[in-house]
Amino acid sequence: MNIKLPRKLTARQWAAIGGTIVATLLFAWAVVTGLTRLLTTPAPGAATGEVPVATTPAPVDPAVPRIKATLYFASADGLQLVATEREVPLAEGFVAQARSILEAQLSAEAPAPLVSTIPKGATLRGVFISQRNEAFVDLDPAIKASHPGGSHQELMTVYTIVNALVTNLPNLQEVQILIGGQEVDTLAGHVDLRRPLRKNEALILSPTSTPGTPSPQ
Amino acid sequence: MAGLNTRRFLGVSGLVAATIVSAAMLTLAQPASLTVLSRDGRKPLPLTSINNQDYVAVDDVNSAFGTTSREDRLAGGLTISLRGRSIVLTADQNVVSVSGRLVSLPSPPVRRDNRWFVPADFLPRALALILDTRLDLRRAARLLIVGDLRAPRVVARVDAGTTNVAVTFEVTPQTEARVTAQPGRLVVQFDADVLDLALPSLPPQTFLLGLTPGETPNSVVLTTGPRYATHRVTTTQADAGSARVTVDLLPAGTTDAPATTPATPAATVPDSRLVIPSQAPTTGLRTVVIDPGHGGDELGTQGAKGTLEKDITLSVARRLRTLIESRLGAKVFLTREDDRTLSLDDRSAFANNHQADVFLSIHANSAVRPSLKGAEVYFLTVERADAEARKRAGDNATALPALGGGSREIDLILWETAQARYLEQSSALAGFVEQSLAGQVEMSPRAVQQAPFRVLVGANMPAALVEIGYLSNAEQEAQLATGAYQDKVAQALLDALIKFRGFLEH
Repeated sequence: MNIKLPRKLTARQWAAIGGTIVATLLFAWAVVTGLTRLLTTPAPGAATGEVPVATTPAPVDPAVPRIKATLYFASADGLQLVATEREVPLAEGFVAQARSILEAQLSAEAPAPLVSTIPKGATLRGVFISQRNEAFVDLDPAIKASHPGGSHQELMTVYTIVNALVTNLPNLQEVQILIGGQEVDTLAGHVDLRRPLRKNEALILSPTSTPGTPSPQ
Repeated sequence: MAGLNTRRFLGVSGLVAATIVSAAMLTLAQPASLTVLSRDGRKPLPLTSINNQDYVAVDDVNSAFGTTSREDRLAGGLTISLRGRSIVLTADQNVVSVSGRLVSLPSPPVRRDNRWFVPADFLPRALALILDTRLDLRRAARLLIVGDLRAPRVVARVDAGTTNVAVTFEVTPQTEARVTAQPGRLVVQFDADVLDLALPSLPPQTFLLGLTPGETPNSVVLTTGPRYATHRVTTTQADAGSARVTVDLLPAGTTDAPATTPATPAATVPDSRLVIPSQAPTTGLRTVVIDPGHGGDELGTQGAKGTLEKDITLSVARRLRTLIESRLGAKVFLTREDDRTLSLDDRSAFANNHQADVFLSIHANSAVRPSLKGAEVYFLTVERADAEARKRAGDNATALPALGGGSREIDLILWETAQARYLEQSSALAGFVEQSLAGQVEMSPRAVQQAPFRVLVGANMPAALVEIGYLSNAEQEAQLATGAYQDKVAQALLDALIKFRGFLEH
């Protein structure tokens, strides 16, 4: 079997060609993985620029480090919000942490005698943080159908979400709730969701009074 | 055999087809009719829709007005005549000749199925000339008024309470009315020749069994039911040119009953000659817009027994309207009169368009715990720090290029900030509502609150949202559905508006 080559290559030339191919492949791999890492891992303090978060659910692995966060539930009489300390998974980066807190708030079982203000089956589609430090919380449209309505219950649900974010992430001032990726008038016909909302202190039961008794207005 | 069968089949199907076609034509051909009002009373004149225009058949016109018509097939024309005067029409010509004068019509006469049709406007424009009388065509009401008749527009409304039923007549232009009690009925006679009348369908109840045009063309008959014992008549000036006559049907034992004794079925007892009071309209609170929360596809919240917020809010709004109209003499508009879907911005825009002096949105509440109950009232939160920050950032000012170069900053009043200017008044209004409600119904522990409610944002007048009770509480669900509770709430809201009027005028 004789393959005719135009010119016979020396061993050195073969080595040079092989080396170039290997180097090129290595470089390409490095570029691709590096870019992927850069794109998927939000750098700590990535509050500047709108950073969409991948929609994978937060890990529930017990090995994942956890931090203490303040979550909100309705008081035993349903009248006010009660701040409660809970452990939530620690996430790398501001946006991922916001997401982790919200997911905990949406799915958390309330410690008796408190009650959750979130309708069952409410899920998070995404969280975005704008350059002006406004958080955008995008909820699945199912929440509209499952919400029981009524001004009071709507205020409780909306401000559970807003307060949970603003209390735990001091950089944030305002939260706007989106539904199905879109700006909406309201969740259940009352609370204006077309503007970002600030923390509502009036709805929170003051720590000095016992849960279940209304604080003086 | 086979051929015969086929032929028979064809014949039958042809007949069926013909029947379907003629049925379809019948339904198409009779969309409505025009009511002809004259001194002799009222009679219908069928309308036919041709090319989306209302037409009347010439033979119907002949029988209604005593005219005769003769067709000239050769010329393709028709002559309608009465006492030596005549109108000559030509098919597909917009111009007709009336005793030699040319009169134009909005659309041409049509000859169809051996009948001639003329547009409804033919009546006042052409027919009136040969009848030598005025024909007034009121399209919206589908009325044709013959001669110089006094024909006020009378729109009736029935508001049913638990302890009374109020029948309200809105009369334009304002016209004197006289209510006469007769056995088993009340006759409302207007000082007019005929009435351009709109009567509602009746909700089932025991005070009023029927609301129908009377025997004379200027009257309306209220057929009274077993619970009716006596009545009261109030008349107010509603607007510049219209009056409102309210007949309250009351059960036995009502204290402020009129002097009539309708229980004696002896004779006709004329009880009150009504004169429209010419009081000057009050300045502070002339127009009230009430917003019954939710409606249509938006049910609002729902009680465990299925009571819907949207139904309760509409019922309370109607009761409140009746009270305000009779006691406060202000104009009242509801953002929705029936069960329909309406956006929140449309509700506040409605109040703005009616230049309301006050806007009240009525709702029923829900909580995650069924024990929570009581009424609440809200006015708008405006996040001042936020508003100021935006102002500093120049968001509220828009730079526009000015003549001669450069630019000029223009302050715009945004929809979003319309309510902000009325916060103090809205806060006072909420306070009065809370005070008045507390005297009538149970209050929530958080009776007055502020919240960023969308329906209040764009309201360009003092505005509040009232939550009249919790449908999530079993006891309150039962209460909210009763007329007695709804009347209490309406009374409290009326009291609050009276206090608020005092506040505005002081």
